[in-house]
Amino acid sequence: MKLIQSRRDQLIFEIGRREKGLLLEILQLYPLVPQEHHRLSKTARAGQLNEHQRLLEESLAAQRKENRKQIRALLDEAGRFQAIPTGFRLKITRPEIEWLLQVLNDVRIGGWIALGSPDTEAGEKIPVNERTTPFIRSMEIAGAFETVFLDALTGRTPG
Amino acid sequence: MAATAIPEVRPDIDRDEETDSSTALEPGYLVICWNDPVNLMDYVTHVFQVVFGWQRQKAETHMLQVHNQGKSVLTRESLEKAEFYVHQLQRYTLHATMERDQG
Repeated sequence: MKLIQSRRDQLIFEIGRREKGLLLEILQLYPLVPQEHHRLSKTARAGQLNEHQRLLEESLAAQRKENRKQIRALLDEAGRFQAIPTGFRLKITRPEIEWLLQVLNDVRIGGWIALGSPDTEAGEKIPVNERTTPFIRSMEIAGAFETVFLDALTGRTPG
Repeated sequence: MAATAIPEVRPDIDRDEETDSSTALEPGYLVICWNDPVNLMDYVTHVFQVVFGWQRQKAETHMLQVHNQGKSVLTRESLEKAEFYVHQLQRYTLHATMERDQG
């Protein structure tokens, strides 16, 4: 997948057939992060911020609902993926990239949580087996698409 | 300007540590982003730029602080504003919390 045109409010990518399949597969995994993962505070004592924690959960639940709606709309929109000889041309607005990044990162973090939140920076290894492979795969694919979108937003050419 | 010597009478207030009112939780909350080994560095920088409206350089400085020191205090705000920022950061699945400023 590569950026072929950057306009003020819209970006146009060229995406291969297999890449398109992978993108749709990842989007359909959303949401993966468990609701209870989100904590407002590490140090607040029991009861202190209960109401605020509830507000956070409600806000994130509403956002998930909205993101799911947006994914559905993106997948169903005729002409969103315009067929070309090498695959497809995909047009995305900048606000759409923002929620796509949220969705992709949810899948990435959700996969990591499902793997037991391993501290790979401290050298903890992720065992590769039948159970872990799908999560490792979705994390890596989500991360790769995030990088493409971030490079496109910043105008960087992937090196 | 010199201070005026007026006897100060303070109301006898018992602090209720368990209260949930915003007033009692003032004066300030720190919005903190914590390190994790999974969020991409460029992604974290981008989110800081979007949520706080920072220039890339400032966003990168905080991102590197998170990465190298385990956390970065992003801002100090009232309860409501800190809560707003934490909501925004968590929408992007960053590990962000608000902690009462003890300083």
